[in-house]
Amino acid sequence: MIIRKSGWLVFIVFFAALLALVYLLAGPAIRLGMVYSLEKTVGAEVNISKVSLELAPLALRINDLQITDAAKPTHNSLSFGHARASLELWPALLGYYVIEELTVDGLQYGAQRSSEGKVYRQPGVEGEKVDIAKLLQVDLPDADELVARANLQTPAKADALKQLAATEQQQLKGLQDQLPTKETLAQYQADIKALTDSKITNAADLAAKAEQLQQLKDKLNAEKAKVAQVKQQLSQSKDSLQQAVAELKAASAADYTKVQQLANLTDGGLAGISQILLGDVWGARIAQLQSLYLLAKPYLPEKTAATEDKTTEPEVVLPNRILPLPGQPYPDFWVKTARVNWLIGGGEATIALQDVTAQHALINSATTFSLDVEQLPQLAAFKLNGDFAIMQQMVTNLNWQLEGLNLQPLTLGKGDTALDLAAGLISSTGKLNLTDDQIAQQASVVLAAANFNSSGNKYLQQLAALLNQQQQIPLNIATSGLISEPDVSIRSSLDKLLGDALLGEAKQKVAAYQSELQAKLNSQLQTALAGQQDWAALLTQQDGAAADASGSIEEMLNAKLADVKDQAKDKLKDKLLNKLGGG
Amino acid sequence: MLTLVAKILKVLNSEASPWQIGWAIALGLFAGVLPFGLLTLLIILIVCLLTINLSTFIVVWGLTSGLMLLLADPLERLTWQYAQHDNLLALLANTETLQLLHLHHTLTLGAFVLGAVLLLPVAWLSKALVLQYRVRIMASVQKWKIMQMLKASKLFALYEKLN
Repeated sequence: MIIRKSGWLVFIVFFAALLALVYLLAGPAIRLGMVYSLEKTVGAEVNISKVSLELAPLALRINDLQITDAAKPTHNSLSFGHARASLELWPALLGYYVIEELTVDGLQYGAQRSSEGKVYRQPGVEGEKVDIAKLLQVDLPDADELVARANLQTPAKADALKQLAATEQQQLKGLQDQLPTKETLAQYQADIKALTDSKITNAADLAAKAEQLQQLKDKLNAEKAKVAQVKQQLSQSKDSLQQAVAELKAASAADYTKVQQLANLTDGGLAGISQILLGDVWGARIAQLQSLYLLAKPYLPEKTAATEDKTTEPEVVLPNRILPLPGQPYPDFWVKTARVNWLIGGGEATIALQDVTAQHALINSATTFSLDVEQLPQLAAFKLNGDFAIMQQMVTNLNWQLEGLNLQPLTLGKGDTALDLAAGLISSTGKLNLTDDQIAQQASVVLAAANFNSSGNKYLQQLAALLNQQQQIPLNIATSGLISEPDVSIRSSLDKLLGDALLGEAKQKVAAYQSELQAKLNSQLQTALAGQQDWAALLTQQDGAAADASGSIEEMLNAKLADVKDQAKDKLKDKLLNKLGGG
Repeated sequence: MLTLVAKILKVLNSEASPWQIGWAIALGLFAGVLPFGLLTLLIILIVCLLTINLSTFIVVWGLTSGLMLLLADPLERLTWQYAQHDNLLALLANTETLQLLHLHHTLTLGAFVLGAVLLLPVAWLSKALVLQYRVRIMASVQKWKIMQMLKASKLFALYEKLN
């Protein structure tokens, strides 16, 4: 092989042709690639009017992008007028996407299309969107539900008592069989009498009779012990029944207080009615933040505890485009500044973002963002700012300030408990901190100029009237704990008002329930306890009988022995006298 | 397709040295395995500067690039699995030239190693096969109907003329 003389020329021509080709074809090629991959992702028509590449500075410009909403093809799910991303050359040559500035103008959600877009794939069940109107769409519970949600203890305790009474009755019946009957006791006495009345002829007879008496005495003692045992069991069962009754009475009283408190809440007391109404709904919304954590999780450094466990198989990790270098000069992608101009609800909003990346440790700063909206037809002002960083942990901070959001008419609850909100203005301030999967959030929400209507029951009508009299309806919402199971606390200074109205019916139900329970309880107790008293009397009587029998045996035994001894003495005396007289 | 066959046969039957063809195949394979980048341009520069058979290089490059559509994913996975050595990663992190060549990219590194390992054996094997072809088969291939047809075709005449 030798050097080709025209080699350099061939190479330069090739290189120039390549550059020209890239410059001319890159735009259309990127456009085709974007349309193809976006359509594949969303399953509906995507239009991009032009993509062009600028060489100095290196930048990509996209004009008029429209993504058809697969659920509503006459509208776009997302569209923007134009976007421009300027890329830094040196990092790009090394294969890192460092975008100096990204601007998106005319971003819109749900704008109407000029012609209906094609749908390639019908959308599945739509993921839940955070929607203020939907957030307020609460099902007002009826009295039964409220009683159920108040977590009352009485029914459980009543059940427990019922069961206890039944088992104790069963046990008492079993004991009855063990007790000596009156006939047995009489038989014992007859046996003793027969024994003691009989004459003793000699010493052997005496020994045999004494033996028989002793046996009878033992039997009687055993019967006595049985009676004592039954007595003890009876007193135990009496104790436990009495304790259960005391518990039931306490639970019933506590429940009544609880229901009273729900209606007459003072600060720091029991969870308020707003908690019962909104707690679950807010908890479910907060749990949606978990998707953010799951998104960031692959970027989080592994916990040291996990590395100690070497025996487990290493997790299969999908290859990254770039190898994990120890001192990586740039993040895999990094948008230094971004400005998005968002057309929303008849006005404009500007979203500004800095340092968007998933590898914050490399640039040693967090992603910051802010959104500022003012004077929209439906909203006076909305400010949102925060930061987001994935370093040792994922940390997200969010602050917001919302003023005068006009509520669309909506209905809370349904059927008999329906409450219509015809108009209202919502304002809210709050902050949120999410560290890995732990949340801490505080917010205050104020509903002003509310106009409620209800055609439901009288309590709800009262409530509507009461609410309409209020200038402001404030709510304080705090959330803490794990995002998947957040601990939500909602307080409102109107809790008492709401409680009075909403729990009015519930309170009546609880009171009725209470008296019904009391009546049932009394009759149940009477049967259970009355039975016990009869038993106790019977036992005392039997115990007495057994003791009497045992006592008389003792007496008779002693008397008989003395008698026998005397007889023996007399006989000895006679023998001696005979011998002396005869001698 | 016919032009491709014609091209290959033309080169095989030409006066080009077996080494020129062997290196063209080996470097074409190398360029084809690599994702397009600075390394590819370097290979093209080498091919341009040395009297390596250009037609063979371009054909093999194209064919291998097509094949890589299938093989890129497994190669990337394999590289990710075996390239996690601290020394290698430190070397790549500290040498900007290597990063400029995109050797810190998982697929590029894998492709570079594969291409480099195959370069010499493929060049030598290709040279040997071309030699064997010319000694044992060329005469009979010349008599094939397809070869006669090709030779008669206008396209072939054009090739002949250009060479």
